[in-house]
Amino acid sequence: MKFRKKETDGKVDMQMAAMIDIVFQLLIFFMLTLKIIPPEGDFNINMPIGQVAQDSTDIKLDLKVRLESNPDGTLSQLWFGGRSLGNDYPSCFDRLNNEIAQIAGGQQGYSDDLEVELNPDYDLHYRYIVKAISSCRGRMQGGSMITYIEKIKFAPINKPK
Amino acid sequence: MKFKHAKPTIVEADMTPMIDMTFQLIAFFMIVTNFDQTQADERVKLPADKLARPPIVAREHEIVLNVGFIRSGGEITGGPYVFYGGGDNIRIADFEPRLKREYAISKKQFDEKTTQDTTIKIRADSDVPTGMIQELIKMGKDVGFAKFSLVAKSDDGQQ
Repeated sequence: MKFRKKETDGKVDMQMAAMIDIVFQLLIFFMLTLKIIPPEGDFNINMPIGQVAQDSTDIKLDLKVRLESNPDGTLSQLWFGGRSLGNDYPSCFDRLNNEIAQIAGGQQGYSDDLEVELNPDYDLHYRYIVKAISSCRGRMQGGSMITYIEKIKFAPINKPK
Repeated sequence: MKFKHAKPTIVEADMTPMIDMTFQLIAFFMIVTNFDQTQADERVKLPADKLARPPIVAREHEIVLNVGFIRSGGEITGGPYVFYGGGDNIRIADFEPRLKREYAISKKQFDEKTTQDTTIKIRADSDVPTGMIQELIKMGKDVGFAKFSLVAKSDDGQQ
């Protein structure tokens, strides 16, 4: 008896075209939707409810930072308590950071007794207040953050000039 | 005379390395694509600070307010506005009713305690007057929110 030999070599060709189409479409989608956004962080801040500064009857030590602005919103003078730290941005904030470090930095970890009150002029640009908060909050050392003061609050709003 | 017919030769390109590479690229873009910051608004040019680090534990309840300017070719043409919802640009002085609504919705969805503990995250442009940010925080306090935070982008460079 004669058997007819099948002429298949057992190789099954997959249809790759459709898969490659989809893969390229996915690739293009991800390339177009890619947005390189730097990571963001935030600083907690407090704000007194009343317009008038409250009487400081508690033992907490309030450190006052005053930020005066020029009419165009740039920094005209930075004050720490009654002492002027100048207006040379960003060096004046480094000086503020050193002042805070002398008060709070000697302690292990941050202190609950200390609180910073930021009193900016109405027109002062937001970038300066972020810098002031950062200078009061702590400093970076070898990739890790050393916290000086956790409690930072705003003073009542100053009227626009 | 006899002509020899040349057999048609089909050259099949080896697609395997190309597909490998393409899959690797897709995997790369999938990992790099950041779906977290969907509430970030590109019109807000955040200030940078080296102490600004993303929180280790993400907050459960927060409301993000984008405060910025309308710019055209780098020049400020309008604002500052709170860029709210789909496409509303609202002046800060007129924002209190929206905050009240946010508070009411959150109170209905969760409870009063959770709503009060919701953090109002303010993403403000570098050039926004600080007094307006203070007004926004005060508005939030008057409405009933208790926690506020100011956002900056992380800056690892030397300052």
